Amino acid sequence: MSNQNVLTHTFSNGLTLAAEIRPSIRAAAFQILMTTGSAGDPTGKEGLSGVLSELCYRGAGDLDSRALSDALDAIGMQRAGGAGSETFSFGGAVMSDNLDKALDLTADIVLRPALQAEELEPVRSLALQDLAALEDNPAQKMFVHLNRAYFTNEYGRPSLGTEESLKSLTAEDMANAQSSRFKPSGAIFSAAGRFDWNELKDAVEARFGSWEGSPPSLPAPERRADSRYVHIEQDTQQQHIGVAYDAAPPEHPDTYVSRMAVGVLSGGMGARLFTEVREKRGLVYAVSASSSHMRGCGFVRSYAGTTPDRAQETLDTLIAELKRLAEGVTPEELERARTGLLSSLVMSGESTGARAGAVAGDLYYLGRVRSLEEIRAQIEAVTPEAVKAHLEEFPPENFTIVVLGPRRLETPE
Amino acid sequence: MQFMNTQLENGLVLIGEQDESAQSMACGYFVKTGSRDETPDESGVSHFLEHMMFKGGDRRSAADINREFDELGARYNAFTSFESTVYFGRVLPEYQPRLIDLLTDMMRPSLRGEDFDVEKKVILEEIAMYKDNPSAVLYYMGREIFANGHPSGNSILGTTESIEALERDQMMSYFEQRYSPGNMMVALTGAFDWDAAVRQIEESTRGWTPFDVGREAPDLNHAVKTEVVKNDQFTQEHLIWFWPGVSRQDERRRAAGVLSAAIGSSVGSRLYWGLVDPGIANSAYLSLSAEDRFGAFIAAASCDPSRAGEVVQKVQDILREATQEGVSVEEMERAKQKIASEMVLSSETPMGRLVPIGMAWAYRGEYIDTDEAVNRVLAVTKEDLDALLAEDPFANGTLAALGPLETLEA
Repeated sequence: MSNQNVLTHTFSNGLTLAAEIRPSIRAAAFQILMTTGSAGDPTGKEGLSGVLSELCYRGAGDLDSRALSDALDAIGMQRAGGAGSETFSFGGAVMSDNLDKALDLTADIVLRPALQAEELEPVRSLALQDLAALEDNPAQKMFVHLNRAYFTNEYGRPSLGTEESLKSLTAEDMANAQSSRFKPSGAIFSAAGRFDWNELKDAVEARFGSWEGSPPSLPAPERRADSRYVHIEQDTQQQHIGVAYDAAPPEHPDTYVSRMAVGVLSGGMGARLFTEVREKRGLVYAVSASSSHMRGCGFVRSYAGTTPDRAQETLDTLIAELKRLAEGVTPEELERARTGLLSSLVMSGESTGARAGAVAGDLYYLGRVRSLEEIRAQIEAVTPEAVKAHLEEFPPENFTIVVLGPRRLETPE
Repeated sequence: MQFMNTQLENGLVLIGEQDESAQSMACGYFVKTGSRDETPDESGVSHFLEHMMFKGGDRRSAADINREFDELGARYNAFTSFESTVYFGRVLPEYQPRLIDLLTDMMRPSLRGEDFDVEKKVILEEIAMYKDNPSAVLYYMGREIFANGHPSGNSILGTTESIEALERDQMMSYFEQRYSPGNMMVALTGAFDWDAAVRQIEESTRGWTPFDVGREAPDLNHAVKTEVVKNDQFTQEHLIWFWPGVSRQDERRRAAGVLSAAIGSSVGSRLYWGLVDPGIANSAYLSLSAEDRFGAFIAAASCDPSRAGEVVQKVQDILREATQEGVSVEEMERAKQKIASEMVLSSETPMGRLVPIGMAWAYRGEYIDTDEAVNRVLAVTKEDLDALLAEDPFANGTLAALGPLETLEA
């Protein structure tokens, strides 16, 4: 894109600022991302990060919970961010005229949250209700179990917590986590939209420049080496089928080879899963596969939802298609996956929120922001031979399979 | 931004909002048909037909259509509502002619029997999927009760029984009564070539024959009642209220949107502070659904079953207090800012503009750009809100509940 123009600056405290200026837009999206997520929650305190991210909005700086919420609404700030397994982020989007005020409030939320004990109780109550509400969202519940079955260490823990862990959280836990984990070293402030680079740099430095320290490092994700099948019995209308398996990590030079292979599986409605599972057999409404990653760890997650009588055929077809990928892809399939990736690269550039997120993601996973030309060249270079060779290194096998629903299925392998 | 519009001889309307700075273009076919236009024995046909339109006509098979969209790198989809069916795609500008060719060709489907049979299974799976989603089940249930025979209460998906019984020829007959070029519209947004688009669409729709299409819009005689449905599949109690609101054509719709946001947007509203902030309910909101000559205010909440009685009381108290005392100027201003920034942020992409400009033109014959639309929201006054509240809008409506409870009595 001709208007792509990412500028970066690292402050002396280790915070990196990266911004893409988009003068034709009236808004600005931004986020501050810290390298500490729910994988850093102490054992027995699962769910802490989610509760903390909500609690930070319940009063910060000189403002109590109500005043802070009103102040964010008064500038029309759309909130974004939250706690992931690896990272913690705060931010959102506002009209550019309100960016300065949004930065003031965000600095209060990150650096000076009140974390009042009396505010913890309602937040805990909501977290417990969210946990209970998971029972009414079977697809989401299946993914919680898929995560638990696939990862063998902190990354497999339920990010919503458990009833016991949520009840054990104290205001002191919150204060300790905020003061030890919200640190500038390795943190990233990214922005996209309309603003002046020098003014933004000064504004971020004024608010975050005197912040000091480093967060504790997170454990690396660990996964099962073998295959596994877990059945969660629940009286639902559909069986919710999830599959996870290893793929290239985000730092791997073949990352786009890996993503294009997944594109052949599930890039569009002409891709293999949609064609074989839905269009030819009418087994499902929803079927998909997508690439996910953490530092040093890439994986693919696939989903299908179907009624119990057709669940076995759906699982068998799904697994057969995942395995068949290793046999290679045709040039036509690859071309469609390539066009899809190139076009979504340009189209996602049209949204400031997506750009602020992509810039932060590049910095977090790769330590630098890739130019559009570099990404384009990587996508253009992928051949069917490269896909086949790559899948020999990262074959779709050793599946972790979780099925939630009334009927237990036979595993295909 | 530049707006253009024209109408072809066959009645098809074309509109476009050009944005030179965009990197992509979007195109959509809007058809003024939806579940409210169905008879009881064809319940769900609008939505099922929407799926079948992707199966092709004389020139393309279903597989051809899927493959071609992928070859264009298109982001594309379709949706069916109570009143509209929309087919749309977004591509890089060089693919404009191919996208238009594909979408236009799709609008004259063959509805082949073998495709119909496979897709029927997909629709039945979609219905099963929604049955696992209590807020969706409750929404359609509550709406049907509220509408009390008005066609806007018709379910979009239909039922397992109505879909199983539906035949291919019934669908063709529905198509032949609804998809007249005069009941359809093409909208373009982003970086498109207007003249080329008009020429191409005129050429390829020359054989489309127009015919008369109507829509019933009877007066709403809504139900005033409470209905509690026990379903042990669900663990939370889900609650929904419907009251008569204002329609798409009603000039008070912006004020009604601001009022709803002040009282019940998902964060920072009266319902939020009264129910969610203290942890009494895990969600609570109020919104306006402004449709073609039909409108409803809708409140919803979900909570632990043990607190359902308290939540019902509290929602009703909050709405009564707002009605009697009004909302403050500060609350109104915050609600306006929220709506305005949502409008601006969602207008960043051609896809974000497509549906707003399409619906405004289809149902009001009106075009306004984002800046003007924002200004009109910001121009809403406290008198506008007070006028709406003077009609006591939240007094007599339908309350429906779904979950483990048999009754909402404490």
